[in-house]
Amino acid sequence: MLLMRGIEQRAMNLYRQGRVPGSFYDGFGQEAVSAGATFAMAAEDRICALHRDLAAHVVRGTEPERILAQYMGRATGITRGRDGNVHFGDKERGLVGMVSMLPDMMLVATGMAMAFKLRGEARAALTFFGDGSTSRGDFHEALNWAAVQRLPVIFVLENNQYAYSTPTALQFAVDPVERARSYGMTGETVDGNDAEAMFEVTRAARERAVAGGGPTLIEAVTMRMHGHAAHDDMRYVPPELLAAWRERDPIDLQERRLAALAEPLDSAALRAEVQAEIDAATELALAAPMPDPATALDGLFAEEAVPLGDGRAPWSGFDA
Amino acid sequence: MTSSRTDAAPAAQLVDVAMPQMGVSVTEGTVVEWKLAIGDPVVAEETICEITTDKIDTELPAPASGVLREIVVQVGETVEVGTVLARIATGEVGETAAVEPAPNRRYSPVVSRIAAEHHIDLARVIGTGRDGRVRKQDVLAVIGDTPAPASDPPLHIESPYIPEPAAAAPAPPDDGATLSRMRRQIGAHMKRSLETAATCTTWMEVDMGRVEAARKQARIGDLIGITALPIVARATVEALHDFPAMNATLDGERYEQHRRIHLGIAVSLGREGGLIVPVVRDAQELSAEGLAARIRDLAQRARANRLQPDEVHGGTFTITNPGQHGAIMATPVINQPQVAILDLEAIVKRPIVVTDDDGNDMISIRPQTILGLSWDHRALDGVQAAQFLAAIRRRLERWEH
Amino acid sequence: MPEKTYLQAISDGLREEMRADERVFLMGEDIGAFGGAFKVTDGFLDEFGETRVMDTPLAESGIVGTAVGAAVVGMRPVCEMQFSDFVACGFDQLVNVAGKMHYRQGLAVPITVRLPSGGGFSGGPFHSQNPEAWFMHSPGIKVVAPSTPEDAKGLLIKGIRDPNPVVYLEHKNLYRRIKGEVPDGAYETDFSARVARAGDDLVVIAYGAMVHTALAATTPEQLDGATVEVLDLRSLVPLDEEAILASVRKCSKVVVLDEANATCAAGAQVAALIAERGFEDLDGPVVRVAAPDVPIPFSPPLEQAVLPGVDRVKEACRDLLAY
Repeated sequence: MLLMRGIEQRAMNLYRQGRVPGSFYDGFGQEAVSAGATFAMAAEDRICALHRDLAAHVVRGTEPERILAQYMGRATGITRGRDGNVHFGDKERGLVGMVSMLPDMMLVATGMAMAFKLRGEARAALTFFGDGSTSRGDFHEALNWAAVQRLPVIFVLENNQYAYSTPTALQFAVDPVERARSYGMTGETVDGNDAEAMFEVTRAARERAVAGGGPTLIEAVTMRMHGHAAHDDMRYVPPELLAAWRERDPIDLQERRLAALAEPLDSAALRAEVQAEIDAATELALAAPMPDPATALDGLFAEEAVPLGDGRAPWSGFDA
Repeated sequence: MTSSRTDAAPAAQLVDVAMPQMGVSVTEGTVVEWKLAIGDPVVAEETICEITTDKIDTELPAPASGVLREIVVQVGETVEVGTVLARIATGEVGETAAVEPAPNRRYSPVVSRIAAEHHIDLARVIGTGRDGRVRKQDVLAVIGDTPAPASDPPLHIESPYIPEPAAAAPAPPDDGATLSRMRRQIGAHMKRSLETAATCTTWMEVDMGRVEAARKQARIGDLIGITALPIVARATVEALHDFPAMNATLDGERYEQHRRIHLGIAVSLGREGGLIVPVVRDAQELSAEGLAARIRDLAQRARANRLQPDEVHGGTFTITNPGQHGAIMATPVINQPQVAILDLEAIVKRPIVVTDDDGNDMISIRPQTILGLSWDHRALDGVQAAQFLAAIRRRLERWEH
Repeated sequence: MPEKTYLQAISDGLREEMRADERVFLMGEDIGAFGGAFKVTDGFLDEFGETRVMDTPLAESGIVGTAVGAAVVGMRPVCEMQFSDFVACGFDQLVNVAGKMHYRQGLAVPITVRLPSGGGFSGGPFHSQNPEAWFMHSPGIKVVAPSTPEDAKGLLIKGIRDPNPVVYLEHKNLYRRIKGEVPDGAYETDFSARVARAGDDLVVIAYGAMVHTALAATTPEQLDGATVEVLDLRSLVPLDEEAILASVRKCSKVVVLDEANATCAAGAQVAALIAERGFEDLDGPVVRVAAPDVPIPFSPPLEQAVLPGVDRVKEACRDLLAY
């Protein structure tokens, strides 16, 4: 969570310094969702992360310098400058990069789970998506499909209260998690700012999925503390709502919890360590070359098909 | 000349500019420079180009007034005396506007290109196209060049067909000698196990209602048409993950727990008797469906005598499932050097006391089975066996379907 | 070689690849017990079982999207859209997810999407379309359209083995109408054009069902002895530019024929290519014959008025030959 926040804060500074082309999206305040959920997944599981889920990449092992290089359109970024900001996924680490059409990746994750089931493998797929995207048809197609075929897939709905500027009240009349039962799957609501709760609910969903119990819809209730993207001043969000959620910052919450342990964590040392890593990564990323314009046409078609590789699974208990 | 061309330029006549004979012995000359370009107005006697011969360099005066219509010989080209170097259209003196070709004098790109390559005056070519348009075949007819016949395209039926490989010869049938040798081997193996291990057996009753429901509600890619064995196997694999002491080998004094679960499945070889224990490697990576497929495949190949040698070695735990003949309990013999073996017998309906949500006891008809675990008291204790069986039971009784 | 229908050849190709490669499986609506709306997968359920011949929910976006997911973890899904028209519902997944995946993150998406396409049988506006140009305009997707049974099998096998998204247009009007010799076993047909008939005076460039229309319209007897070449493109992405230019060089007069709506059709791309790179070889304007820009109407006289037929092609050729 600290790495995610640190990388995104650094990227926002780089954006303001004119080093990041295009736009920039972050997941400030939502770090616990992707961090907690990804820690519960096994190395051989597969994940589709969204633009508020940088921790998923970090947990799976994607290097901070490649993430920063990605933001800056450098040749060493994960997509080698072909796509921007958080539109990436390290294929070596079992991550599929998102597209802007949401929630398209729900179907991709469903398809990965379908392959696991067809091949009889004890693996699961997980995808994140937001409250706004529940209005689109792919949300329905994915939930229905996954339930009909009882697929080992976990749908993590990040309810961060706003789709760009549209509040959830204009998005749906029934909370999406309530629809889980009508599709024929388990639905769980969880505090998306509590990393440990995210971990536990995802871990249970994964065990259910791998045991043949089918998909789970997890609604992680959280708050988008920044604008939709860097240009957005969020004037449409009531200040008191932001103030209330600021009290519930996921990193502060976890820090208090760790400080209360019998052997308290030295959070200052941890923060310093993370900051040093980000500083080093920034230097590397800034020193990296921009892509050669002559390569703009390269790689449209594949010469061979190499499936996704495994990611890191440091604390899941499901490491390969 | 076609009438249409004449119609388009009624006053035009072409006058040739030829390479002059600049001395008795001179037979050829070279164009050094053109002083006018195509379309330029020409005044008679004005210099039109410079030429050189082996005798003399000189300027060539225009033979007539008009417009320079065509340059046939380019700078640097050497041609015989008398060769046409250029053509002047007379009757258009000073009228540059007349140089604009009439609409039907436009030539298609391919006609223009061929004409330029062969120094053909298209104005003299008879057109057979619409309104006398000069077509490609017209200009080709002038140069006497008919298109080369196209080479035959490759025949569409010449595909890279690769014959399918011939079917493999069937495996030779077992003879009696093989079977009796197998029986001897089984016997020696079992006897050695009983002599080596301190074998104890623990039993536990399990309600298989949810497992049976899962089998009946099988959907796509599911456990269609299979027995409870792969579900029990999956539950066992999960329990082994939590009880690594069971997923172990004891060889003399050397006791070793294994992280990877290589699950032996005892397979009866059918009517002639005999038993073989193929191994599902890395069973922890397989779902119940995956285990079902692997067990089915191994069993079929075991019965066809087509197992590879490494498919019957290296197990870390074994399950035996002697079949559907109604037996309810057994005391399996541990597959050395493993430390435990699980026995699955028939699932039978029994009256069972169950407790409802309000705490009321009642008799219910439930599909029950008795799981038997033989374990080696040298490596394990009874409480571990009971906890392990309970872990399997918990998973089976809560099986999601 | 056995003679088979176009339809049987497609079934053959699917069956060969499913037998040879267990990663290959089929997804579609009503393809299992019913054998597909056009019976392409008739009998497949019995041979391969329901995990490999998957009756899916009625969800085209779901079919393409889950196929992408399965493909990136090592499978080779072959999707059937019941009619090519319905691919509009799966367009986003095909164009935005599948087509851009390898360019963006180097991840191959080996999926094949079969599109029963084309009109000529009163299918009306929603069962007659030829949507190939949508995908030609979307980078990262290969587009093929066989006209013969032999190519139908070979292009399908090649497409399934290709590590990229491949849109495979099978023309409904050829299914049982066109027969031809089809080799046994598995073979690949290159994504390149073929000369369906050689000629010198004019070339008709076509693909799919229009190849047969072109052949029928351009025999020498109908055109005062002129010999007309018919070039069957077979593949639209990649487009066999050299084969097109070679035919133009030889014949110098070109009719480009599409069954699809004219504007921005595959033939428009062919005409642009000739204008750019074949200009010096032309002996007349590039003439296009295509459906006008209206939905394909239902009633037979209206449909015949819209779809290019033998007479229209013959007239266009006659006119250009006389030019």
